[in-house]
Amino acid sequence: MPSDALPRRCRPRLTPAGLCLVLGLIALAMAVVELDARLGLGPGLNALLTPGETARALAMHFAWWPRLAMALLAGGGLALAGVLMQQVLRNPLAAPTTLGVASGANLALMAATLMAPGLLVLGREWVALAGGGGAMALVFALAWRRGLAPVVVVLGGLVVNLYFGALSMVLLLFHQEELKGLLIWGAGSLAQNGWQDVAFLAPRLALGTLAAAWLLRPLAVLELSEAGARSLGVSLKHLRLAGLGLAVFLTGCVVSVVGIIGFIGLAAPNIVRLAGARRLGTRLLWSTLLGALLLATTDLLLQHFSGVLPTLIPTGATTAALGAPLLLWLIPRLNLGGEAPSREARAIGTRHPAPGRLAAWLSLSLAGVTLVALLVGQAGDGWHWTTPGDWALLEWRLPRVLAAAGCGVMLAIAGTLIQRLTGNPMASPELLGISGGSAIALMGAIFLLPAPDNLTLVGAGTLGALASLTVVVALNRQSGFQPERLLLTGVAITALFDAVRAVVLAGGDPRGQQVIAWLSGSTYYVDLTSALTVSGAALLLALAAIPLARWLDILPLGGACAAALGLPLARARLVLLLLVALLTAGATLVVGPLSFVGLLAPHLARLLGFSRAAPHLAGAAISGALLMVVADWLGRQWLFPEEIPAGLMASLLGGAYFMWGLRRL
Amino acid sequence: MLRTRCRLPALAGLLAMLAAAVAQADTPRLATLDWTLAETLVALDAPPLASAQLEAYHAWVDEPALPDTTIDLGLRSQPNLELLARLAPDHILISPMFANLAPRLERIASVKTLPLYRAEQDTWQEMRRLTRSLGELVERPEAARRLIDTTEARLDTLGARLDGTAPPPLLMVQFMDGRHVRVFGDNGLFQAVLDRLALTNAWTGPTNAWGFSLAGIEALAGLDARLVVIEPYPAGVRETLAESGLWQHLVEAGRGSPIVLPPVWSFGAMPSALRFAERLVDALENDDAV
Repeated sequence: MPSDALPRRCRPRLTPAGLCLVLGLIALAMAVVELDARLGLGPGLNALLTPGETARALAMHFAWWPRLAMALLAGGGLALAGVLMQQVLRNPLAAPTTLGVASGANLALMAATLMAPGLLVLGREWVALAGGGGAMALVFALAWRRGLAPVVVVLGGLVVNLYFGALSMVLLLFHQEELKGLLIWGAGSLAQNGWQDVAFLAPRLALGTLAAAWLLRPLAVLELSEAGARSLGVSLKHLRLAGLGLAVFLTGCVVSVVGIIGFIGLAAPNIVRLAGARRLGTRLLWSTLLGALLLATTDLLLQHFSGVLPTLIPTGATTAALGAPLLLWLIPRLNLGGEAPSREARAIGTRHPAPGRLAAWLSLSLAGVTLVALLVGQAGDGWHWTTPGDWALLEWRLPRVLAAAGCGVMLAIAGTLIQRLTGNPMASPELLGISGGSAIALMGAIFLLPAPDNLTLVGAGTLGALASLTVVVALNRQSGFQPERLLLTGVAITALFDAVRAVVLAGGDPRGQQVIAWLSGSTYYVDLTSALTVSGAALLLALAAIPLARWLDILPLGGACAAALGLPLARARLVLLLLVALLTAGATLVVGPLSFVGLLAPHLARLLGFSRAAPHLAGAAISGALLMVVADWLGRQWLFPEEIPAGLMASLLGGAYFMWGLRRL
Repeated sequence: MLRTRCRLPALAGLLAMLAAAVAQADTPRLATLDWTLAETLVALDAPPLASAQLEAYHAWVDEPALPDTTIDLGLRSQPNLELLARLAPDHILISPMFANLAPRLERIASVKTLPLYRAEQDTWQEMRRLTRSLGELVERPEAARRLIDTTEARLDTLGARLDGTAPPPLLMVQFMDGRHVRVFGDNGLFQAVLDRLALTNAWTGPTNAWGFSLAGIEALAGLDARLVVIEPYPAGVRETLAESGLWQHLVEAGRGSPIVLPPVWSFGAMPSALRFAERLVDALENDDAV
């Protein structure tokens, strides 16, 4: 159980109180310096209470002070929500954004902006809360039958997150101009121009804190094992519901006011735990305080340094960007210990009696779908069967179908490998950070070079993928590529990627459209040569995975068990990791970071009944290809002449099926 | 959320009509992905055969309107290649922003990349150059010259109308949400227009290559200027602003109530520039009369 696995005592010198004191002093010093520079200390303090006459005093009263207050409130609220979630889900990686609250709120705001702007007049925070609450309710509904078991909740949250994220991407792709304001919101800006938002947030957070204090004792029971808690007569379902519901309420309130602020909810509780806080009460107290101070300090630093830039650097994205290296630094210091297999990770789906027949059926449908995708399509004047007369059309269709299938196969295999390697159902190629790394490099190329051609972009993407792979390997070699640590490294790189993307999009630069188009994973840019390269590489790498099937059967049993069976653990992990990196980088460079397929295809295969490693690989590869080809074709036809990128379509289709499958569990 | 389009039958008819129309005209058949190029082409009386995201064009650029016969190619960043290949235009015009599409588009027709808003370049000179090169491309150089001349003459007239009124420095903003604005300054369309009208921009801060800077409302405090708000207001923003203490103080401290102008495509070329100028001068004049 990860929460138990953290160190009981890290270093005697480092206590949560000491940490908060140091950080508090830094924040105080920064604030005093700022006050002094802007208005002088006395008048500056005075401006807290009265607007004053001069423009500077006005700005202090209506912008600087509320912003500081907002940073403290938001940071505290998010950290509190983070502790609650990590406690309930017993997963140190759980964070306020994990459960779909942020993406639900985001989607609700986007949809309201486009379809019912009147709602935003009534109050955007209510729209955001409704969206976040709705997403959470969906997660609960998915996990209800399993008594809100942690693994299923996290999995449901992840899928809802991806699903809503994909829907928002579609809206954004088609309505970039209308939604540009929400991009700033999505990057989390703390800018204030009055006290009204603080007045909105403060009482709600106070209420949430009271509720958390009230839940403290029952929640502490969750630290016992599940059976132990049950034997004490605690209703786990209701307790988890209350804990998570409270966390969502806190997150929703904060997020609706200042936008998505990454990392605080993840970092503050983990840092406090590393600093030696063990009991839930102490963790709640110090995490809240640390979260508040972390956000305030970051924001003060940011205001100090960003004055000269032509654009606003949003705080929420900055915390995420700063937090990423911090997390990378923390990883070797986290004693995650347990090589125990994660329970319930393999509990999904039942074994099909004849996997061979199932695979044959799947291949047959893949062939049929490919044929339809090649021959049927719309033109300016309606639907067409391709007749021998217009083979020229295949010049446009063949590369896309090939690339879609190839990338589907690669991502599906990468996903299967990494899910079996880490024994973690949340794992996907994106979580390793490889697509994130190459995406950062690509965005850099689009924004820093005057008119980059595709070759330059591919080069930049490869460099980025290699760089992130190097980081992953360098940080994990010592621990022998322990699954939890590997995932954490990936989470850190992905956080950095999210931050870079948010900053890039929030600036409102027209080139953002290009970034969105690429990030949503389209086969649009593929020509025949690269399509052939992709499908060839997919085939080769798929063949390379077959001899590894024995390792993959054993690895999910856990490190200790695998070692006992004579598996060269470190080497096996390194080899699998390299293969995953190659597969992911190959697919990412061609069709963007389409990790949804990498997450969904292995699960699909498992739900269909492929359970041993070799059939699982084959099943995942075929379902991945099927999913991508269907997605690519549907995406090209649905809103003709506008095209929905294959990556988005795949996650919309796959996510829907996946939710249906989860509900059935 | 995702509206299905029902314009396919209409499109079929249009294709036929176009085939007929093209047979008689000698001007090259052009497709463009860029709204700024599209609006200039319309102003040159040589509208493009096809352009991208037409619905959004009419929402954000509005005038000059594209003719109903213009074919929608889909997204600007990913125009529909099959459709484009079927239309087989003579040239495809893009801006450097879409340079990565060029190799794909080259297989359909010759691609011309026309830049506007390059850093360190005088925006108005660039607009002239862009208009001229488009004029040559559609084989109507005299129309291009006429467009430049009439636009500049009209701007001179508009500038003359403001003579003697000594308008205050202007601060041109567009609201992104209740807390953030784009402030328009150096390098942009609006600055170029202010220069031609001999007006002062109160925003001297840095701007990006498209001539705006994203800033919190608090960045506007202390600037002695008349506020010019370019619509649209995002939903709910007017109400938020009514509650914002800082905005109320800004409005009180500013030189008169904010001027609110109807939407203008802020990354446009000459037609957009002229529209902005007309509306701004009208507003300033009417204001003085009150």
